[in-house]
Amino acid sequence: MRLSFVRPVAQQLFRELALTALLLLGVSFVVFLVLYFSPGDPFSLLLEGQMVTAETQQQLRMALGVPEHWYSQYLFWLGNMVQGNFGTSIRSGLPVLPEIIRVGINTLYLTVGSMVVTLLIAVPIALSPAQRGETPLNWPFTMFAYLVSALPVFWLGYVFIYIFIHQFKLFPILYGYSSERELTPLFFLLPILVLGVGNGTISEVVRHLRDEMSRVLQEDYVRTARAKGASAWRHAFKEGFLIPITEIVAAKIPFILGGAVVVEQVFNWPGMGRLAWQAALDRDYPVIMGIAVVAALFVRFGTLTQRVVYVMVNPRASQERER
Amino acid sequence: MSETIILRIENLHTFFYARSKQAFVRAVEGVDLEIMQGETLGVLGESGSGKTITALSVMGLVSTEPGVISGKIEFSSKGLQQNLLQDLDQYVQHQRKNGRIMAVQKDCGGWQRKTERLMGDIRGKEIAMIFQNPQSSLNPFVTVGKQITEAVQLNTEIKNSREAQQRALHWLERVKIDSPRLRYHNHPYGLSGGMCQRVMIAMALAAEPSLLIADEPTTGLDATIQAKVVELLMELKAVLNTTTMLISHDMEVIGRLSDRVAVMYGGRVMESGSVQEILRSKDGSNHPYTTALLGCIPEEKHIKDKITLQAIEGDVIDTMNIPGGCRFYPRCNQKNDRINQSCKEHEPALKEISPGHWVRCWLYYDE
Repeated sequence: MRLSFVRPVAQQLFRELALTALLLLGVSFVVFLVLYFSPGDPFSLLLEGQMVTAETQQQLRMALGVPEHWYSQYLFWLGNMVQGNFGTSIRSGLPVLPEIIRVGINTLYLTVGSMVVTLLIAVPIALSPAQRGETPLNWPFTMFAYLVSALPVFWLGYVFIYIFIHQFKLFPILYGYSSERELTPLFFLLPILVLGVGNGTISEVVRHLRDEMSRVLQEDYVRTARAKGASAWRHAFKEGFLIPITEIVAAKIPFILGGAVVVEQVFNWPGMGRLAWQAALDRDYPVIMGIAVVAALFVRFGTLTQRVVYVMVNPRASQERER
Repeated sequence: MSETIILRIENLHTFFYARSKQAFVRAVEGVDLEIMQGETLGVLGESGSGKTITALSVMGLVSTEPGVISGKIEFSSKGLQQNLLQDLDQYVQHQRKNGRIMAVQKDCGGWQRKTERLMGDIRGKEIAMIFQNPQSSLNPFVTVGKQITEAVQLNTEIKNSREAQQRALHWLERVKIDSPRLRYHNHPYGLSGGMCQRVMIAMALAAEPSLLIADEPTTGLDATIQAKVVELLMELKAVLNTTTMLISHDMEVIGRLSDRVAVMYGGRVMESGSVQEILRSKDGSNHPYTTALLGCIPEEKHIKDKITLQAIEGDVIDTMNIPGGCRFYPRCNQKNDRINQSCKEHEPALKEISPGHWVRCWLYYDE
């Protein structure tokens, strides 16, 4: 009986994966169109200041094997992508996919780490009133959560740099100060902290989780649990904690990725956001397309995890699929 | 039936504060009840008369503020005797006017923590409760079998999970669920309302409590299922002889299951006595409210002659705005010139009109 959720989960996974494939197609096409119609192109940037004629440009394109029409360009890219070949960067000449994977892992550290920070701050603030009733500390903590969520992340980043590097000289990385304390290995915590605090998600987690938990704690079945001497929290956990948390985290992944672009700039973090920024400046089309696809995959992965958790937790959802 | 009192409720007050109307809901105002070892006490009354709130007050499960604000709930069983509202005075301050509580200040969080400590060993173990609306009262995320097993493990000596599971299956059989082994693995939504109520009953009885509180066990079920649940409760009562507080607005259910009856109206007990004296009284010496309730039971002649069913005139008392006199006065059809003035201005106390039969009505006062 413990494995009763395997089949619904497999069905759910299949459905979500099919949706993801469609979505990637759509995302790549839209991004391609936007790039195509935006001014500038990689070759004019590549050959900048070299007094090239239109003829030379055309020859360069031919030499690099760029198809002539926009649709054949897209289909050419799509065909390669399906086979796992994301092309090579126009700027660096390196293959795109290994490069994205290399920096993508750094971004993963940053985003997952910051999500943990967000939850560590938001969950206690959200649940303490349900646990201990209204205390005088609730209000200031909630205000803190909302205030902090309203701070722009780049500003917060510079404030952190100012405090920890400029003022206390804890880390040597910027401005050429030498560290007086042996904290350098911990430098990576700084951007994680900044993104975790400043990604604007804390207030949403607090509000959503608090609403859901206090609603569920009022449910009849939680009262029954208390009447038989069981812990209300244990019975409210699935509906009041697990489901809302996965919901909000999945919904917030795009925002966190967006925040990562900024934080990676501020902290010189070698991640996907920086790569994307650089590629956008260079009009490095293959890199931009690759990043768009990988970012869309990140987001889909979040939604997929949320769906799977929901189906595993909620027996009714799996039952409905079977019928 | 021994004469040991298991539960004695004295002058219980449970209020709510209706923020939107800036007024108190006097859900329970001065309830006195006693339950003897082995008996079934039926608590009868219309919706909104404070029956459920009384039960929840006993369980310490009133979740709306300010909740229980004064009174005494003495619970004694298995050598254990304590006031479940011990030290309540330290958490509540109230102002009385003419003997009625007019304003309350309560440290609800503090009292909540205190209740959890007081009730820790009692809730579930000593007092178990069956709720109305069984389908929403069972955890939808957990199989019904596991929910019963949990009750066994929490409240009895059986801690081993395999044994507890056996015990849960045994209880599923006891409450007459078909193929209990299959049902064990069902989630509540997969079961009918009647089955869910059987599961609730099994879950409450699995703890082998000294006192069972059944709050409207038949409400929300089909008429045929209701009859079956009542039958089941009667059988279990005959075998287990569990002391029960049965709450219902259904006189049929109360009449079949109870030994004694308390009739509640507007948050107060209006009449109490043995089931014969109250529901099958020959000389009609009842509280006018009980008489009116009894008049609402459809009889054969109603159906044959197509006579309109009786109903009590007016609405259930607005517990936010209780008049000074008798609570039932505005709807009473037995008021006469002799007592009219008293009815309007003063609320009578319970008077023992025959041994064990108490009525709160001026009709039974000579002067």
